Amino acid sequence: MKEDGRFKTNIPWLIFLTAIIVLPIIVRSNYIVSVMFFVAIYGMLSIGMGLLMGQAGLFSLAHPTWFGLGAYIPGILSARGIIPPLPGIFVGAICVALIAYIVGAPVLRLRGFYLACATFAIILIAQVVAAQLTNLTGGPEGLVGIPALSLGGFVFKTDLHFYYLSWAFCLGCYWFCSNLINSRIGCAMKSFHDSEVASQSIGVNVAKYKLQIFILTAVMASFAGSIFCFYLRFAVPDSFGFPLLVELLMMIIIGGVGHLRGPLTGTFVVLWLTELIHGYLGKIFPVMTSEVDAIFFGILIIIVLIFMPRGLTGWIDQLINLGRKLYDRFRGSTT
Amino acid sequence: MIASGDPRHKSGQSSSKVGVGSSLFEVIQLEKSFGGIRALCGVSLRLEKEGIVSIIGPNGAGKTTFINVTTGMYFPDEGDVYFQGQNITGLPAHMVAHLGISRTFQLEELFSSMTVLENAMVGCHTGSRTGMFAAGFRLRSAREEENRTRGEALENLRMVGLEHRAADDVNSLPLGERKMLGIARSLGVKPNLIMLDEPASGLAAHEIAKLGDLVQKLVENRLAVIIVEHNMPFVMSISKRVIVLDYGRKIADGSPDDVRADPGVIKAYLGEED
Repeated sequence: MKEDGRFKTNIPWLIFLTAIIVLPIIVRSNYIVSVMFFVAIYGMLSIGMGLLMGQAGLFSLAHPTWFGLGAYIPGILSARGIIPPLPGIFVGAICVALIAYIVGAPVLRLRGFYLACATFAIILIAQVVAAQLTNLTGGPEGLVGIPALSLGGFVFKTDLHFYYLSWAFCLGCYWFCSNLINSRIGCAMKSFHDSEVASQSIGVNVAKYKLQIFILTAVMASFAGSIFCFYLRFAVPDSFGFPLLVELLMMIIIGGVGHLRGPLTGTFVVLWLTELIHGYLGKIFPVMTSEVDAIFFGILIIIVLIFMPRGLTGWIDQLINLGRKLYDRFRGSTT
Repeated sequence: MIASGDPRHKSGQSSSKVGVGSSLFEVIQLEKSFGGIRALCGVSLRLEKEGIVSIIGPNGAGKTTFINVTTGMYFPDEGDVYFQGQNITGLPAHMVAHLGISRTFQLEELFSSMTVLENAMVGCHTGSRTGMFAAGFRLRSAREEENRTRGEALENLRMVGLEHRAADDVNSLPLGERKMLGIARSLGVKPNLIMLDEPASGLAAHEIAKLGDLVQKLVENRLAVIIVEHNMPFVMSISKRVIVLDYGRKIADGSPDDVRADPGVIKAYLGEED
C-alpha cells in the first residue's frame, strides 16, 4: 500500500530481473542453467507456501499434491494425444483450481495443526492414487511418452528454453503475489492472520479469502508442475510426496516468510547448497550423499531457527536496519 | 431466572414485531447459554435512532456476550435481532458489518503486523470492491480504489486524533491510542450503529475526557452508540439512557438518575440490604 504507479521504479527488482536474463548468456554452463531452472520451479511452490503460511496464516501442506496434479493432468492428456501440451497446462491449472476448491471448502474450516494434518493426508492419498491407477498414470514406474512442449512452431528442447520459460512464470507469480500482498486483499489476509474476530467485525469474509488464496497458490503450484513434467518428459508419484514437502518447508524456514523474497531466497540457498554438498562430498562419501544432506540441513535449520527466527531475509533486513541506525548516529555525532 | 416457557417470551416477540420497521435497532428476548451458564436470558432492547445507550452490570453479567450475539460472532439460542427493519439474527459477523453495525473489542484486537494507517485501511474493507485479479495485476481500478480508501482511513484517524501516528507501528501505541485506533478502524465500516466494548477501561482521566468528546462527535454525525462499560462516572456523565444487566437479565433501563436510584440495581452492585 505504498507506491502509486503500476510499474514502480524498483532498483533491486530491475537488477534481479537483468541478472536472471543475462545469467545464461554470461555463464554458458548447462549445469548452472539447469539448477537455476529448478530454483524457479521450486520457487513458484515456495512462494505460494510462503504466502499461505506467512501472510494468511494457513498451515496447509498440500502443495506437493497440486504440483503433482499439475504434472500428471497435462502429462496424461498429452501422452494420450487428447490435448496438446500447451493448452494442457491451462486445462491442468483449471482442474487443479476445481479440485482445490472442492478440497479447500471443507478443509479450510480447520485451523492450525488440524489443517496441517488434513492437508498432509491429501498428499498421502494423492500419492497412493497416483501409484495405484496404473492404467492412467503408469503407476510407480512413472508416466512415459509425454510429448515435447511447443508454442506455435517453437519447441522447448534445451535447458535454456526451459530456464526462460520457468523464470517467466516464476517472476510472474512473484509479481502477482507481491501486488496482492500490498493490496486490499493482502491486508485482509494479514488481518485474519492477526485477529480473526476483528477481521470479521469489519466485514472481511474470512472463509472466502482463505479459499481464494488457497486456490491461487494451488494454481501456481500446478503451473510449476506442468513445466517440470514437460522438462523431464516423465512423472513418478515419488517426486510429489513427503520428501518434496520437507524440502519446501526447509526453503521457507531458511528463507523466512515475512516477505515474498524469503521463500525465493530460501529456494536458491537450499538448492545450491544441495548441489555443493553433492559436488564436494560426493567424492568423499560416494554412497551416503542423501544422509549427509539430511544431517547438514537438519543442523542448518536448527541454527536458522535459533539465530535468525525470521529466516535469512529477516536477518539481513535486521542487519540493514542496524547499519542504517549506526550510520545515522555517526552522522549525527559528526555534524 | 426466567424459564424458557415464560409467557413474556411469546408476548414480547409478537408485540414488538409490529414496530420493527420504525426502529434502528431492536433486540427481542435474546437468549444465549454456554453449557450450564445462561449468559443472556431474555434480554430485549430497542433503539429508535442515533444517541448513546450504555450497558452496565457487574462482571459476568453478559454485557460482552450481548455484543457478540448481536454482531453475529455467536449464534443466539433464541430471540431475534433487527437492524433497520431487517432481521439479522444469526447472520455471519462479516455480513452484519456490511449492513452497518460495527464494534470494538475489550482487548482492542488490533492487527499487530500492520501500521496504524493500514489498520484503519483494513477497516474500510467493506467500502471497496477490488477482486483478486485486479489486485494481483494492479489494475487502474485497484490503484484508484486504494487511494480513495487511504483518504477515508486518514479521515477516520483524524476523527479520533491519530493522524500524526499514521505511519507508526501499531505495537508502539500506548493503550489510550490503541483504543482510539480500534474506534477509527470500526468507523471504516461506515456504521449506523457502533458498539464499544469497554472503551474507557485502563484509560487515564484526560484520555477518558477525549473519549467522551469523540463519542459526542459520533452522535453528532448521526451514529447510534452502544457503550458497554464498567466506569460509572464516565457512563453516567455521557449517556441519557442506561441499561443494567445482571446474570444475563435486564434489571433496569432508564435515565442515569433513575438507574442510580433503582433498588434492584443497588442490590446487584452492593448486595442485599438487610
